[in-house]
Amino acid sequence: MLLTRFWIVLLTLALGASAFTLYVAGQMYNHAGSRAMREALAADSSSVGWYLKDDSRQRASALIRITVNPDVGAGLAKASGDAKIDRDTRGKVKTALSKLVAETPPELADFKFDAVWAVDVNGRVVANVGFEHGEDWELGGYPAVADAIHGWIRDDAWVWKGRIYRIVARPVEREGGEPVGAIIGAKIVDDTFARSVSKRTGAAVGFYADGARVASGAPEGFDNASLDEITSDLKALDTDKNYQEKGRSDVRVLGQHLGVVYARLPGETWDLGAGYAVGHNAVSVGGPFDFLTQADNSDKETVPTKLIVLFVVLVVAVGLGFTFAEHNRPLATFRNEAIRLAKGEIDVLSPSRFRGAYKKIAADLNDGIEKVATKGGAPRRAADLEQVLGPIPAQPQMSAFSVPGGPGSSPIESPTGSGARPLPRPPVSDRGAAPRLRGQVPAAPPSDDGGDLLEVRVSSATPAPRPPPPPKRPAPPAAGAPGAPPVEALAEPEPEPEAPASHAAGDDFDELSDWHRVYEDFVALKRQCGEETGSLTFEKFKGTLQRNKDALVARHSCSRVKFTVYVKEGKAALKASPVK
Amino acid sequence: METRTPEFPAAGGAFRGGRSRVGRLARRAAAVTTLVAIPLVASLPVDAVGAVGGGPVTVKGKTLGTAKLLNPVWNDAKDPALHRFTFREPSATVRADLRTLTAFLPKELCVVALVPGDGKANKLPLRVVVAGGRTSPVTLVVAPGQQIQFENQDPFTHKLYVVGADSKGFAATETGTAKSRTWTPPGPGKYEIRDQLAPSVRSWIVVEPHLVNVGYPDRKGDFQIDLDPGAYTLRGYFNGEPVGSELPITVAPVPVEQPLKLPLVVGESDAAPGALGVPPGKPGAPLKRGGGG
Repeated sequence: MLLTRFWIVLLTLALGASAFTLYVAGQMYNHAGSRAMREALAADSSSVGWYLKDDSRQRASALIRITVNPDVGAGLAKASGDAKIDRDTRGKVKTALSKLVAETPPELADFKFDAVWAVDVNGRVVANVGFEHGEDWELGGYPAVADAIHGWIRDDAWVWKGRIYRIVARPVEREGGEPVGAIIGAKIVDDTFARSVSKRTGAAVGFYADGARVASGAPEGFDNASLDEITSDLKALDTDKNYQEKGRSDVRVLGQHLGVVYARLPGETWDLGAGYAVGHNAVSVGGPFDFLTQADNSDKETVPTKLIVLFVVLVVAVGLGFTFAEHNRPLATFRNEAIRLAKGEIDVLSPSRFRGAYKKIAADLNDGIEKVATKGGAPRRAADLEQVLGPIPAQPQMSAFSVPGGPGSSPIESPTGSGARPLPRPPVSDRGAAPRLRGQVPAAPPSDDGGDLLEVRVSSATPAPRPPPPPKRPAPPAAGAPGAPPVEALAEPEPEPEAPASHAAGDDFDELSDWHRVYEDFVALKRQCGEETGSLTFEKFKGTLQRNKDALVARHSCSRVKFTVYVKEGKAALKASPVK
Repeated sequence: METRTPEFPAAGGAFRGGRSRVGRLARRAAAVTTLVAIPLVASLPVDAVGAVGGGPVTVKGKTLGTAKLLNPVWNDAKDPALHRFTFREPSATVRADLRTLTAFLPKELCVVALVPGDGKANKLPLRVVVAGGRTSPVTLVVAPGQQIQFENQDPFTHKLYVVGADSKGFAATETGTAKSRTWTPPGPGKYEIRDQLAPSVRSWIVVEPHLVNVGYPDRKGDFQIDLDPGAYTLRGYFNGEPVGSELPITVAPVPVEQPLKLPLVVGESDAAPGALGVPPGKPGAPLKRGGGG
């Protein structure tokens, strides 16, 4: 098992190193992902800022065609000189303005305005498109409008009713370079605008004002709804020093993986807490197995799968080879030898045929067998007759030998398949006879007529029992055999016939006649003891003797069995003695 | 647009020493005005306050030095450090002298007529319109106890409040579209009004105990103010502060419209005093900024 153990240790070390490497790789991957996310967020935030600035300039340029329109200029010039703007002037400017807005050239389609106002030098709104309000409304207080009225071009961003209006303003001039008013264009920041920003910058961007998200747009694959999380984080910006001073926050992580950078939107929105946030999902793994769940097919295609499979197969083959060589083969050898031992083909295991621990096991088994044989076998617990055979009467009607059906007998019927069975004859060993179990006697085989039970007291013919030879194999657990009757003595084959109550045995020994004699003696003795003998026929008696004889012959390899009758505890009993 | 003279020195210098050119000009204008007006009313009984019998007289005058009155909101907003824009550039076709962000006089310059005694508040609230990123007027001078009504004519909500630790009874409260809220300043002084929802809204309410009436000039600086016959002192207020020099006048019962010979100096000007009818050597009383509370 050395190679197998070495291989297991090697594989375990490799597995541990792989797990360690995977965790380290995961951390490095997360750090790299976090760093990449921060860089991407900074780039995205700057990109959006640049885009918004460029967008404002483009929109300011888109106003030129309106500011140079003569109808608009004339109308604004007239309105600027009037204390009250007349309807005719308003109408003319409105008509011209509406036409100009409606006929936006295709090249300026991306810079269409949601609302356009024409204001005079007093800041009064002379006409508008796209935004309804009172006739006497004005916009002159806004710095962007005042700038335009004073000859400046600029942008701004306002917050009205929770919506962000991106503003560009441009002066309307007459000959001599004197402004007579201004054109103000407004683009509402909505989801369409946000998607446009996202499309051109590749950033997931959300605009917020009045403490809530007002618009968002994200590239494909980014969950746009995740930008809703910025709403709950906006209050925390009050404590963000960079956001308050520089207008751009540090990277903030919302939820588990969403990184966000907030930026204040230039214009009045700067003071009103409006701005935009760019989001980026941090690519990270929670554990080594996340690599598998997050990898796509292209990632998996780059893996040298065949090489890995080949390596795995090789490692498995080596491991199995080691296991087979060091476990299965020795075990099979041991198993075969054990089977041979069980069959009696061998008496002991040969440790030299085994390897590794099996050598020691075989030697130990041999030693154990030796010791058991030396002790004469292992003590066995007597079988529970009641459990095996059913209730036994408190006063047996047959003293030591009973014949079912006999008067006064207690017919003991063994259950089917659990009748008393004779102990198998131990295999003959060169070390001597099979170990004989103390206190065990072979039981009669189950009878054909219902499983009669014969309790036989076997005579111990030998006065001084010899030490039992070491057994070739341990005896089967007779005590555990169903139906086996308790045996008090071990029958020992008699070297020569000894029949105190029978005639001497000879070559012409007539067993039937002998059994007739035993039957008659037994019946007579029963009568003497006052027992009932009416139902005890010779045929039944003979069957019982035959079964017990067979058991003893099988047990002791004796040539025959001698039966004698005697009185035990006031009742007739029968003793069986094997004769060699 | 108002005509301006380029290369004016800093405006602040015009209101600080009594020996400045504007100060001398103002003092001369006040003296000339007094000389012209006094003969007209000499034959009329004039009480201590200056009120005389008969209907009110419309006094017409001009302001001088308005080119240096700069709107603070607009001028602050052009500072790139305040991040009010992503780009701001001059229109190449607009003359450079017109690009100065001077005040919009009809709303920002308040000409007041003062009397030595106590002024009297109007019974009706004075109306201040909130619209277009500012209030109209921007600077309002009232007598003590005058109720002011702010009307929101914008299509969105405003949240006006008095700047300072003490809200003076005018805390930030939303005023919806076409809604109004009234407020009476608690006493003499200057109160700055701002809007939490519109940073460009910045207004001033000045409570002047000696106020009898106010007037606002047009974009050119010409103003008119209705006064009963009597002696008054005219003063300009800008951004809640008195500016320029006071102009003492006496209003005669007749004619109904009485033009002032001398302009009300509200700021430094490079214009020759003679061109404005202000005789040299007759300066008016210069004002210091920060008065009125």
